Amino acid sequence: MEKRVIRKETLAGIVGELAGKMRVCAPMKAEDEVLFRVLEAGEKPLIEFANAKNAPKNFLFPRTETLLKFTRTGKGMVFAGDQKDGGETLLFGVRPCDARSFTLLDMLFDQEKYRDPYYLDKREKATVVALGCVRPPYTTCFCTSVGGAPLSSEGVDILLTDLGEAYLAEFLTPKGEALREAFGGTPAGEAEEKQKETIATQAAEEIRSRIPAREIKPILDARFEDPFWNTLHQKCLACGTCTYLCPTCHCFDISDEVKRADGIRIRNWDSCMFPMFTKETLGHNPRPSQKERWRQRVMHKFRYYVDNFGAIACVGCGRCVMACPVNLDIRKVVADIAKL
Amino acid sequence: MENVEKKLREEAKRLLSEKKVDVVVGYEAGTLPLTATPCFITTPEETERLVWNPFCVQNLGKFVHDLLNQHHEAQKRVKPEARRKKVVGVVTRGCTSRSLVIQLQEKQYEREEVVILGVPCGGYVDRKKLSALTGGEEIREGSLQDGRISARTWNGEHQAVLKELLADNCLTCRFNRPVLADIEMGEAATAAEAEREYEAVRAFENLPAEERWAYFEKEMAKCIRCCACRNVCPSCYCRICFAEQSQPQWIGIGSDPSDTQLFQLMRMYHMVGRCVDCGSCVAVCPMGVDLRKFLKKLDSDAFELFGHRAGVALEEPAPLGAYRENDREDFIFDPKSGA
Repeated sequence: MEKRVIRKETLAGIVGELAGKMRVCAPMKAEDEVLFRVLEAGEKPLIEFANAKNAPKNFLFPRTETLLKFTRTGKGMVFAGDQKDGGETLLFGVRPCDARSFTLLDMLFDQEKYRDPYYLDKREKATVVALGCVRPPYTTCFCTSVGGAPLSSEGVDILLTDLGEAYLAEFLTPKGEALREAFGGTPAGEAEEKQKETIATQAAEEIRSRIPAREIKPILDARFEDPFWNTLHQKCLACGTCTYLCPTCHCFDISDEVKRADGIRIRNWDSCMFPMFTKETLGHNPRPSQKERWRQRVMHKFRYYVDNFGAIACVGCGRCVMACPVNLDIRKVVADIAKL
Repeated sequence: MENVEKKLREEAKRLLSEKKVDVVVGYEAGTLPLTATPCFITTPEETERLVWNPFCVQNLGKFVHDLLNQHHEAQKRVKPEARRKKVVGVVTRGCTSRSLVIQLQEKQYEREEVVILGVPCGGYVDRKKLSALTGGEEIREGSLQDGRISARTWNGEHQAVLKELLADNCLTCRFNRPVLADIEMGEAATAAEAEREYEAVRAFENLPAEERWAYFEKEMAKCIRCCACRNVCPSCYCRICFAEQSQPQWIGIGSDPSDTQLFQLMRMYHMVGRCVDCGSCVAVCPMGVDLRKFLKKLDSDAFELFGHRAGVALEEPAPLGAYRENDREDFIFDPKSGA
């Protein structure tokens, strides 16, 4: 693995130049927010920011995407694929927690038995350049409680660490190596590596928000019917903001939109928080109230995903904590479950 | 404020100890600095959690409706002789009280099913204004003292006078006390500039139609249809919202702009004379859609055409929910003659 030192003032320009050659998605200022979006050629991304409000999952698993087209003809239905090819994509400025979310999504979309070609096509063409967190972006960050770290390299192709005057760039995978020349810089020495290790330890200590995420698994296994669930959801507005901003939430709904003889089959993000999510055709809903929906959200993240894939489906980015309009804080929920 | 909070806790405690209410819906401190969050208190001991401060944002009318509605539904499955009444106590400021009036007018529950704990209100802090104060930086610690808010971020300390951070709807609010209450506490809060209530509406009305439409399109393009606005609204309580009907399907689930526009237009038109301008929809919107611009126009129409202010008195139902022989109708045949 090659390690290089890149001068700080050159980084944004390097990425801006790449934006002329491939599709580059990066955090950009949008009114009062920082949001991931596709850069124009030469456009420079933000380098100094906490994190984007939206998770970068949208570029691998879009909010709405056409799966296929169909036309009714005299001879029956004619089907055609309608996959948009975004081409080689650089996801720049991804925080390590969000990069980890890609490995968690891979577990679901890339299984031996079920492979999701729509996700995988984009995933294979994406190179992830992460900006490590030399200090936790938010007080609500809790990556270290769910298996992550401020300088984690899981799901990362190129990891950038801010050393003060320059970045240490680690080209971790063949996909990352392929971009080594574009990033330039000079070879890194032992001093830079040591400095990075010190930063990694310090940054991890700085994460003060800790939750007993692993400890609640056996409790969840045994407490499906606990009265705790009766009141947990009470203030929830069922808006699903938590699930839309979540880098690991991946539930979707498939729907056909038809105009006369032509139609498209689209897949959209869905959310376990919505009343319609599990509503069946005959009108029955096995999760009739927000109680069952909240239980599902907690169970899915901290129990079922652990059972199915051996990992917690949460990367500790804290987006849901900050964005929930009624401050239903997942950290408090997990802490309360640990007390059961 | 501290006195009101103290009195509130005492009254809530008394009501719960004497079994006058089953639950008190109020606010407790949030997990983030300078926030409060709705809470549901069911035992006298827990009443210490209750707070009353300018970080109490949402209109609690929504929760009163939901709690009672769920109870009524559950009671249908109980033998008549075993049925019981549920009483909800609710921390109520001006706008919340007007929502309760609307729900009572619309016969959602009986008057004796709610105990209204009236509190004076000087307005609440708009999270977006607070965020603008710190330049979008995360607030790591914060405090409110003597009408001044201070917020500490990585970049240092930011300070502002409370009034500068109040939500727009609070700045021109004329309901600093509840219009209906069982127990009232505290002294009346300072009145806001009510005479300026429709200033922003007038300014918007005077823009050319193309500009107004462009603004509508721009705002609607932000909407992700999470429906937090609808779900927090105390006047939006349809059992099945048209937005979720599938036969016929009024609204497509994709990202076509017309679907979003239709959803918001339909919701707004259900709000005529029923919107109390509590600002909850704006406060909870994760995308910062300026819904109030349009809702306030409808509110102003209801006032100008029918002399109606939503939820001000039990005996004055919403204009679209009542019939009077002398109701104005000229604007129906000649839209330009009205507002």
